[in-house]
Amino acid sequence: MSQAPAAILQDVTKKIGGRTIIDRVSLEISPGEVFGFLGPNGSGKTTTIRMMVGLMALTAGDITIGGHSVKTSYAASAAQVGAIVENPEMYKYLTGYQNLVHYARMNPSVTKERIDEVVKLVGLDGRIHDKVKKYSLGMRQRLGVAQAVMHRPKLLILDEPTNGLDPAGIRELRDYLRRLSREEGTAVFVSSHLLSEMELMCDRVAILQKGKLIDIRSIRGPANKTGEEQIAVFDVDHPENALGVLEGRGDGKLEDGSLVITATREQIADANRILVEAGFKVYGIRTRTKSLEDQFLEVTGGETIG
Amino acid sequence: MANFWNLVQNENMKIYRRIRAWIMLGFVALAPIAISIIYIIASGEFDANNWEMMTLETTILYQLITIFTVVKAADSVAGEFSTGTIKLLLIRPWSRSMILLSKFVALLLFAVVQMVLLFVVTWGINALLFGVNSDASGIIPSGSPLAGHSVWGYVGLMYLYLFIAQLMIIAVAFMLSSAFRSGGLAIGLSIFVLFSGSIITGLLSLTDKAWVKYVLFANIDVTSYLNGSTPLPNQDMTLGFSLAVLAGYFIVLNLISWLVFVKRDVAA
Repeated sequence: MSQAPAAILQDVTKKIGGRTIIDRVSLEISPGEVFGFLGPNGSGKTTTIRMMVGLMALTAGDITIGGHSVKTSYAASAAQVGAIVENPEMYKYLTGYQNLVHYARMNPSVTKERIDEVVKLVGLDGRIHDKVKKYSLGMRQRLGVAQAVMHRPKLLILDEPTNGLDPAGIRELRDYLRRLSREEGTAVFVSSHLLSEMELMCDRVAILQKGKLIDIRSIRGPANKTGEEQIAVFDVDHPENALGVLEGRGDGKLEDGSLVITATREQIADANRILVEAGFKVYGIRTRTKSLEDQFLEVTGGETIG
Repeated sequence: MANFWNLVQNENMKIYRRIRAWIMLGFVALAPIAISIIYIIASGEFDANNWEMMTLETTILYQLITIFTVVKAADSVAGEFSTGTIKLLLIRPWSRSMILLSKFVALLLFAVVQMVLLFVVTWGINALLFGVNSDASGIIPSGSPLAGHSVWGYVGLMYLYLFIAQLMIIAVAFMLSSAFRSGGLAIGLSIFVLFSGSIITGLLSLTDKAWVKYVLFANIDVTSYLNGSTPLPNQDMTLGFSLAVLAGYFIVLNLISWLVFVKRDVAA
């Protein structure tokens, strides 16, 4: 990728009262990418996000957003960031629209037309002139997204964005984030402890544990084209016999009346040919990639509380 | 530098879009009318001096205005922390100093709006009920540096001096609000400063120690100079001295507010 990164975290460290909360975290977020920030509760996700948006000072290291350091040119970096930090807390005694006007006044690039456009985009047009105290959590979350994207930020930071959303709302948000990253080239940085959520939403995921970055991996990589092993589930008649036939070809076992083998893409095709030639009826073959949850538990050693 | 007035407008919106601001302004507007009417009912006549009634009502309602402004000042910073809105406020492309300054300016405007309203209402209602008295010498004490001068000058200076006292109490409330992030604590302590000021001044006047005249409480009410006296009779104090002491406190209080607000991590 030839484009400059939307954000760079370099050896970001935060110490509070002698305790190291964040320990030399380094990563880069590219334009147009949905980057997941995954970790158990208390691992330091929110602290990292607070440092990215200038709510907390860094003890060491630096964060640059669109080439501007949050330490030395905060206003220039903040102008390129839209964020929801934890819950989208708005002024409850103001209407949704007044809240947006409030934030728009702080950002010269936002016009009145843009506010109306964003309100439509998040689907709040019917209720935007109601006071925020009458909103449901889902509506507040939408208003939060509206204030975060209003000024077309280069980097959108969402801390646990699916909290309080119903399944339809989560899906909508996911589609919207994808569109935003694809069409407008916005880099999206999403934190969550919900693994399955991240798997559906992100291109890459960084895993944080006890303030340390332990892994960064691609989720939508071309994994099944390489020689990497996959899990294949064969739906065959007489699976016990079939297991015997495949003896010595990959790691096979029986699971819920199906034959399950761990093998490469080529080996799976071979196994199918052998079974068919041996006279078995193959009703179906499903491959199962290792879920993010498996990967997550693998790298964190099964620990859930940091 | 983008438009700083936008920030002040935001703060104004947060003050005046709440019903409580209008209840406060309603009190300031109606209380003088009520006091004048009660006076007429109680005394059964219309012969009061309009200037006398005006300064009396001003002295009473000034306290109310100060309490209202303190409530808003305490809420201004601490309220944003307790509701969590501070997070979305501080991630904008503005320095924290400017955001704090915009809050302070909006509070000063709120104080000015109330003072102007009080001035207009106390003058208007008493002029209406009692007529404008041409002999105002009765309300200016004979020892006052303004004795023999225009009553407008006297009343105008009285408002100015009360506003200076109010400015100091706002600074105290604002400092407590940003240092402790607790609206209740800021309101309580500021009102303590407001009311205990005269008692503490009374205590301080019992001693002849020189440091006493540098205490905030001894200087906060500069209206005594208007009447030809000094806050502490035993001390060698002038209006210029008190204003200099107040300026010193004002700078220190705001410096604390600013340092705490700008430096502290937002973890709430």
